[in-house]
Amino acid sequence: MNAPAAVARRFAPEIALVIVLVVLPAILPYIGGTYDIANRILDWGLFGLGFDLLFGFTGLLSFGQAAFYGAGGFVAAYILVAPFTGNAVVALLVGTVAAAIIGVIIGYLSLRRTGIYFAMLTLAFGEMFVFLDFSPLARWTGGENGLSGVPEPHLEFGIFSIDINDPAGLYWLLVVIFVVGFWLARRMIASPFGAVLRAIRENGGRVAAVGHDVPKYKMTVFVIAAAYAGLAGGMLGLLQGYMPPDAFYLDTSGQLVVQTIIGGAGTLIGPLVGAAVWLYLYTLLQNIAGIGALWKMILGIIFVLLVTIFRRGLCGGAVVLWRRLRARPAPAPDAASAGAEPTRTAPESRRSTQRPPPTGPVVLATRNLTKRYGGLTAVDDVSFELREGEIRAVIGPNGAGKSTFFNMLANVIPPTSGTIEFKGDDITGLGATLVCQRGISKSFQINQIFPSLTVRENLRIAVLARTYGKFRASMLRAVDRDAAVNAGIDAAAAAVQLDERLDTPAAELAYGEKRRLEIGLALATRPQILLLDEPTAGMSPAERVDTVRLLRRIASGVTIVIVEHDMDVVFGLADRITVLFNGRKIAEDAPDAIQANPDVRAAYLGSQATHEPA
Amino acid sequence: MGLTIIFGALGVVNFAHGALYGLGAYAGFVTYEYTDSFVAAMADGAAFLLVVGIIIERGLIRLYYQRPAEDQILVTFGIGIVLVEGLRAIFGGLNRNMPAPSWAAGIVNLHVTLYPTYRIDVLAIVAVALVVLYFVLYRTRLGLIVRAGIEDQLMVNILGINVTRTFLTVFGLGAMAAGLAGVINAPITTVSPDMGADILVQSFVVIVIGGVGSFWGAVVGGLIAGEILAITAMIQPAYSQVMLFAAMALVLILRPQGLFGAEGRQ
Amino acid sequence: MSLLEIDAINTYYGEAHALFDVSMRIEPHEVVALLGRNGAGKTTTLKTMMGVMAPKSGAIRFNGQPIGGLPPYKIARMGLQLVPEERRIIGSLTVEENITLAGLSEPKPWPPQRVYEMFPRLGERRRSRGRELSGGEQQMLAIARALVREPQLILLDEPFEGLAPLIVQDLLGICRRLADEGRTIIIVEQNVEAALSLSHRCYILNNGHVVYEGTPRNLRDDPDFMHRHLGI
Repeated sequence: MNAPAAVARRFAPEIALVIVLVVLPAILPYIGGTYDIANRILDWGLFGLGFDLLFGFTGLLSFGQAAFYGAGGFVAAYILVAPFTGNAVVALLVGTVAAAIIGVIIGYLSLRRTGIYFAMLTLAFGEMFVFLDFSPLARWTGGENGLSGVPEPHLEFGIFSIDINDPAGLYWLLVVIFVVGFWLARRMIASPFGAVLRAIRENGGRVAAVGHDVPKYKMTVFVIAAAYAGLAGGMLGLLQGYMPPDAFYLDTSGQLVVQTIIGGAGTLIGPLVGAAVWLYLYTLLQNIAGIGALWKMILGIIFVLLVTIFRRGLCGGAVVLWRRLRARPAPAPDAASAGAEPTRTAPESRRSTQRPPPTGPVVLATRNLTKRYGGLTAVDDVSFELREGEIRAVIGPNGAGKSTFFNMLANVIPPTSGTIEFKGDDITGLGATLVCQRGISKSFQINQIFPSLTVRENLRIAVLARTYGKFRASMLRAVDRDAAVNAGIDAAAAAVQLDERLDTPAAELAYGEKRRLEIGLALATRPQILLLDEPTAGMSPAERVDTVRLLRRIASGVTIVIVEHDMDVVFGLADRITVLFNGRKIAEDAPDAIQANPDVRAAYLGSQATHEPA
Repeated sequence: MGLTIIFGALGVVNFAHGALYGLGAYAGFVTYEYTDSFVAAMADGAAFLLVVGIIIERGLIRLYYQRPAEDQILVTFGIGIVLVEGLRAIFGGLNRNMPAPSWAAGIVNLHVTLYPTYRIDVLAIVAVALVVLYFVLYRTRLGLIVRAGIEDQLMVNILGINVTRTFLTVFGLGAMAAGLAGVINAPITTVSPDMGADILVQSFVVIVIGGVGSFWGAVVGGLIAGEILAITAMIQPAYSQVMLFAAMALVLILRPQGLFGAEGRQ
Repeated sequence: MSLLEIDAINTYYGEAHALFDVSMRIEPHEVVALLGRNGAGKTTTLKTMMGVMAPKSGAIRFNGQPIGGLPPYKIARMGLQLVPEERRIIGSLTVEENITLAGLSEPKPWPPQRVYEMFPRLGERRRSRGRELSGGEQQMLAIARALVREPQLILLDEPFEGLAPLIVQDLLGICRRLADEGRTIIIVEQNVEAALSLSHRCYILNNGHVVYEGTPRNLRDDPDFMHRHLGI
């Protein structure tokens, strides 16, 4: 494709947007619109750009965006009314920054929780601003009367200045701001930062487990949304010549949510479209006698229907349709992962692996690792050393403490006492994210992947953590053009044999492929130590054999600890086996020796004493 | 006033989350219906809400149990809008006044201050309601099922009890409590379609402070919130509401699961 | 007609295939042990029987009635009861309330007195909350809770797990008493000795497949086989 066409393709949405917005004034009179309505729609659209980043892409539903909208608006308005300056540019900037600062505070308080609690917290803090506005700060905000006397925009850019004194002028100003805001938001979404955000929405836990500092990402997008809101609020004051107190109201936050859903969350344009629908319904229905007063109720019903049945909103639905029309038929999944032939007879005596015994340096060690839960000791004083390049299996009967021990190795749970050392450094209690950054990665027993992202996008999240560290506010470069990242993705996909499926959404993979992706995610962080939690869980006998082969291939260059119940898998892979029983290590040896060990045999058949009572 | 907070506690000694958003709408909804006999108003308000609550749960909410939390919030929010707007459409947007019943009118001299009789009565009604609620939860079979169901829904199912039907009841009860709260509150504030929004926020603050899933937590939370409001109102009225939020923020930072909270979600 | 028949069932955890064409039958008055390593599918089998999980294919019949896909509470009312692996005592309820709860949907439940006769320890602690009980007491309560419903078939999932030997002996005695009374029991246990000592017949699961069906004696005659599937 030649350069101009390539550029056109990349910027297609912006170009389309500009065309629509430029043409709109010409059509306005025919569709019963005015500049004023258009301006309001654009303002809501701007407000919504930030919100869509927060909710549509990162999955954080906030009902308190009005706080930032109002704050930014009143700060900007006050600056102009006081007047501290006549330059609207300065006023808007200050307003935006003020909103962002408030965003940091509220974000810090609200992001401590998730889901419903987060939503309610944002709602509560949003309401707090209503009260703040009315009482203590009424002197500056005009309380119930709002702040009037906002002058027409006078924009100074150093040398030259622009004066805007009609709705048409305001329209073009808003168009510029919106298009720039849209472009910025799109770049953010296409950046590494954006990729992580989208993954957080799907499975925040896994994002943290592959080494990203999820709280920082959430806080950053929260502040960005606040900034957009603040800017939109400032523009509202300029639009109306007056800053109304209802900018702070719950209604405003709610309207934003409804508009975004109707237009389609996760599309960036959704809020704009939703605002258009809202305002049009309002003006349209007002004039129809009888149901004029019902317009909001009708809107509410549409909203409920959309959320229930058709979740993508207008734009979202269009995008889905578009993708379906363009999609190629997916290649058939592996034959190996389809179906299961149960083997009725156990295989013959197991042969252990032919690998030479590990002699490298100790890379991972635990000393007297203990975990107690109240009166119950799950892991009791386990000391353990892992050598570079080894494949170690940890086995034991039910309740032996394997999972607890394993989760401590992965730094998912902190020990009650004892330490864990990684290449000589104490990593006890660092947490899974930091430990992953250092080089220890875990794959989960139950698939923790990102279902609506493609295999490529899945692996990308893990590779990003390795390439960029636990947090990088890299918002402007396009992540799909990053050579280092792409190389990492290709390598990981090849290692787990998913290179043919890179562009398939993870949800469409067969179970065995998903399991491979699961391992691939851990591998993509290029760990030195790979912790595998029951990698063959839920697999048919054929799949198990394949998995063992795959793991043997991966094993060169990585040290592996595997928790497993399937003894064939264990014997097919392990160099050494550590046996836990009642939380204690009762044996650690080569596979053949373990198999012959009488204590181990007795432990499995349960003829030894069991736990102390809780 | 603090009493209002306790109403929040009533509606929100709550079991099924998600009803929260509807709460506000319900409160408004009911109060409009009846402007005659107060006792009848209360009873009708409560019963009507119970029915509405059940209908809504059956019809819509139950589709959402498997859906992510955000969807549940959105749908209850949407239902709230529809109900509030429906109210506005039927009754108009102006505020109405519902007078206190004649048997509760007048003023009581409390030595410290003069206090409307109705509010004392309200306190009494709330106390009674709380006692009734306690009784139901701790002394009846239904209460037993509910308490067990909150803790381990599956096990209750295994023991032969149809838990979904119970949760339906719980949702209905929550709605009913909200309706009751709305009616009782009506003479104190004005009645309008939007009256629910305040209650919504205040009840949420109560939950955060008191902790989720705990009967006593809600009560204590309500009392604390009420006290904060009352005390700050005497000192510096402008800041009273804000102080409430500050208290909530404090609890969040220091003890995220609330004073009595059972779960610590993160 | 067997009391319970499961016929080529395949159960999945999401997409993970946990049971592969598993078939079993349980006759009235017999104690059947279900053995196997961790992750073999024993608990999954019991959960499928109780309706906690629905099989994707295959049939389950209880007293000839198909029960596959029914919710647990309906299956409970037909006469099955599960004593789950984690015991799942309702911690915030007292012992007595736990017992009452169990009997709510049963037309003729055991009165608490009868429970306390069989489990004196529970009688002593009847006012204690579930979470205040020791592991052994919780297990007793879990079994008592099942008995309250007079089930035709009791599913015991790892009743001896995590308990001190003395308590295990106590519980073993209780189980023996139940067996002697002619109750039909399926017991899942990793404590192979204990399970075999109680049972008339046993099944072994490995990686979701049934690899053995027979008597404890025949199993004991082939220790290598036992170690292959149950040990290492």
